[in-house]
Amino acid sequence: MLSLFLPLFLVFLMLGLPIVFGLVAAPALLLWWNGQERDIVLLYRNIYNGMDSFPLMAIPFFMLAGELMNRAGITLRLVEFAQAVIGHLRGGLAHVNILSSMLFAGLSGSAVADVSALGSMLIPAMEKQGYSTRFAAAVTAASSIIGPIIPPSGIMIIYAYVMGESVAALFLAGIVPGVMIGGSLMLIVRLLADKENLPQATRRATWGERGKASLNAFWPLMTPVIIMGGILGGVFTPTEASAVAAGYALLIGLFVLRSLKLKDIPDVFMRSGLTSAVVLLLVGAAMAFKTVASLSHTPELLAEIILGLSDNPLVLLFLINILLFIVGMFLDAGPAIIILGPILGPIFLSMGIDPVHFAIVMAVNLTVGLLTPPMGLVLFVTSSVSRLRVETVARATFPFLLAEIAVIFLITYFPALSLTIPRLAGFVE
Amino acid sequence: ADITLRATANSNENDEDYDGLVVFKNYVENASNGAIAVELFIGTQLCATGEECLQGVAGGSIDIYISTSGGAAGIFPYIQVLDLPYLMSDDRVAEEVLKGDFTRELRAKALADSDNKIRLMTIGNTGGWRNYANTSKTIKSPGDLKGLKMRTVPAALPQQVATAVGAAPTPVPWPELFTALQTGVVEGTANGITDIMNMKFTDAGLKYLTLDGHSYMGAFWWMSEDTFQGLSEDQRKIVVDGFAALQQATFASPKRKEIAAYQEFLKAGGEIYVPTPEEKAVFKDAVAPVFDWFKTEVPGGTEVFDMFNAAVASAQEAVDAERAADLK
Amino acid sequence: MTLLLALARVLGALNAAALTLGRWLGAACIGAMVVIILVQVLFRYGLGNALPWTEEAARFLMLWMTGLMAPTAFRRGGFVSVDMVVSMLPRAAAGLVSLLLLCLVALVLWKGVLIGWSEVTGFGGRFTMAAIKVPVSLDLSKWMSIPRSWMLASLAIGVTAMFSVCLELILRALVVLTGGRDRLPPIALTHTTLGAE
Ligand code: NA
Ligand code: NA
Repeated sequence: MLSLFLPLFLVFLMLGLPIVFGLVAAPALLLWWNGQERDIVLLYRNIYNGMDSFPLMAIPFFMLAGELMNRAGITLRLVEFAQAVIGHLRGGLAHVNILSSMLFAGLSGSAVADVSALGSMLIPAMEKQGYSTRFAAAVTAASSIIGPIIPPSGIMIIYAYVMGESVAALFLAGIVPGVMIGGSLMLIVRLLADKENLPQATRRATWGERGKASLNAFWPLMTPVIIMGGILGGVFTPTEASAVAAGYALLIGLFVLRSLKLKDIPDVFMRSGLTSAVVLLLVGAAMAFKTVASLSHTPELLAEIILGLSDNPLVLLFLINILLFIVGMFLDAGPAIIILGPILGPIFLSMGIDPVHFAIVMAVNLTVGLLTPPMGLVLFVTSSVSRLRVETVARATFPFLLAEIAVIFLITYFPALSLTIPRLAGFVE
Repeated sequence: ADITLRATANSNENDEDYDGLVVFKNYVENASNGAIAVELFIGTQLCATGEECLQGVAGGSIDIYISTSGGAAGIFPYIQVLDLPYLMSDDRVAEEVLKGDFTRELRAKALADSDNKIRLMTIGNTGGWRNYANTSKTIKSPGDLKGLKMRTVPAALPQQVATAVGAAPTPVPWPELFTALQTGVVEGTANGITDIMNMKFTDAGLKYLTLDGHSYMGAFWWMSEDTFQGLSEDQRKIVVDGFAALQQATFASPKRKEIAAYQEFLKAGGEIYVPTPEEKAVFKDAVAPVFDWFKTEVPGGTEVFDMFNAAVASAQEAVDAERAADLK
Repeated sequence: MTLLLALARVLGALNAAALTLGRWLGAACIGAMVVIILVQVLFRYGLGNALPWTEEAARFLMLWMTGLMAPTAFRRGGFVSVDMVVSMLPRAAAGLVSLLLLCLVALVLWKGVLIGWSEVTGFGGRFTMAAIKVPVSLDLSKWMSIPRSWMLASLAIGVTAMFSVCLELILRALVVLTGGRDRLPPIALTHTTLGAE
């Protein structure tokens, strides 16, 4: 009876009930129906307790850091830097868009922040140089998902919290996959150059201009160095690192770049607070949902079905990637990780897959899901930034999506791609 | 079954708590001839913290729950008396104390402080004794701990203990402890060996272990008073006997489990140091201020401290007498 | 409909005022969280003297931030949902479906309000927090451990405010169904798209 909570949740979801309410309403109704009214209180307590966690604090802090950097014009400096480095290539601004996303990813943990910050700047700029809006939007959307793959990363924090993994290890493991996605997107731009008739930038930046742009971007580009350096050097924990990133952004915005005004601060705090409240409540609701899931023994049932499909881990990994991709079409990465992580993780761990490797496969796959309709947060934001229809953006993104799927399979079958850096840093045996 | 008791422990099936619960379940279900069933929830499915779970016990959604002293200190602060270092000399004395009237006296206090909602059934063990372990050097005296960043929970008592021996108490949440040890945010921790090995802290660089046994890792077994009183007298007798069997099991379980844990610790490159009685005496002198702090700062502290010390003294006497008789 | 509209306006004004206060307090919480964690890093790494209260204080503020901010996000439609099916329905049918969903939400929230306040006033609220204390004398010589109910109240307040918002949204939906869409005062829409992604 209780196992009906999953289909009921999906029905609510499809009808348009906000996910956070669906996660609570479906199990609560079934508990009530079952006469287990005293257990409904467990749902409430698990929401509260799911949110009452120190590691989760990284979410508001990274949101705040991203918001501060955007307001302080740091994004613009990153784009100028990327422009000076590779702007002269064929399809220069498209490459600049991708490189900016990779740089921005080092400061921000969110793909949505990336689209809204870079998209509103780069899409008009690309249109002006003769790119089609379609193509500009596609490049922006496809590259924004690097944001939560290269550290820091909201999704990795949630995964680490739910699954009890080390945040530092997951952060380090995301670096190579993130760079690979960036590289593969640049390759697609190169391949599409003729078909899309991409413009050639006017001239190569002089070394003087490059120096100036580097200098301008120096302080912002130190953020990832400070974050990862501080964590690895034992100065602060990964959670504290997120507060340091926010403090650092505030400091350089107010005093070094002086692009941030004191009167901007309350609004920045409010915006990041609103966003984090939504995410935290969602994590809490998902933890409550997870409780009911384990009471109903659904994870064991699903595990049995999955393990019944094949006993070859390589085949299962392939199938799981397909499953995740389909889930990613309907659910966003955060909720999907909280719901599926505890179900799928143990199955693969028991087959000898490294937990950090599995985390990366799952996180990257579901992040790419942000690009797929019908439920693709990045698509929605890109559509509003570019004023194109969601379907148009989705179709234009397709070639890039193929490249990203290829990367997913590469990191699935070559664990060393994700594990080498954390291993060198001593975080993985 | 006419009655189903819902029991929960926030640990896992490798833990001593689970061993105790299995024994309890088996005893109660057999002795009641199936009239009482015990349903086990191991982990954080029903509730995740002492506050939350004890609220469940008080409210009736959970019947049986095991907490550490820290988990219940927010409502029964005096039970931290068990965390006071070096008051009991060994397992025999500790077990004698916990089997005796001290537990009954605590039960009466806890019932009074919870409006007759929460009943202390028994006190067992969960993980042996706390020892100092660290990543940098062998600890033989409080001087070796000087300035060492020692992980503690944020509660006041463990901080007082760490400060008293010269360490720098550093609160780090349990989920972040592995990374904190690995990166050097903290350099040491005071846990039992089974927890150290379950969390693979040796992989995070934890290497030097000093078996000073500064505090006993008591496991407090609570039951809903309403549930308990709702049973018939015969059933209550079965439950009480079940908890006696559970206590025996949790006394024995860590002693068996730690053998493998110590072996693993050594195999992972760990170093174990056993302090001499003289060295232990120096440690004990250093923590004297903590006792005064406990008596003045903890509500009910003086009363429970004296109660505990009296219980320890008579337990020591009893154990000494038994020992002497056995040596004849 | 005039009555519905009037009710929607009054409740809307009340909610807007309360939520504005909540947003400012929530913003203060997030600012204080950053400061507290930075102070901890400074004391522990810089001065070698870790502070025992920072972790708990920051968690306390985070829960309050969530409780104070979530109602605003709800009112502005910031909770993530899938509107695929509803957007394919005719307008009247879609309005009816969202009204029914809002009623379901109101039910869930009302249950939350009941449980939330019984948690605050119940046994679990009487635990004292492990590390954070507040001064109870002017010369800061006496400090009191605060009860856990102060922290539990964050979610109870949040759920209560969300319930009030939900009633307002139901009234608005009824007004829309009875053809008064144009006469409703607008709700400021959220300017950020929300999600950890
Ligand atoms: Na990132
Ligand atoms: Na998607």
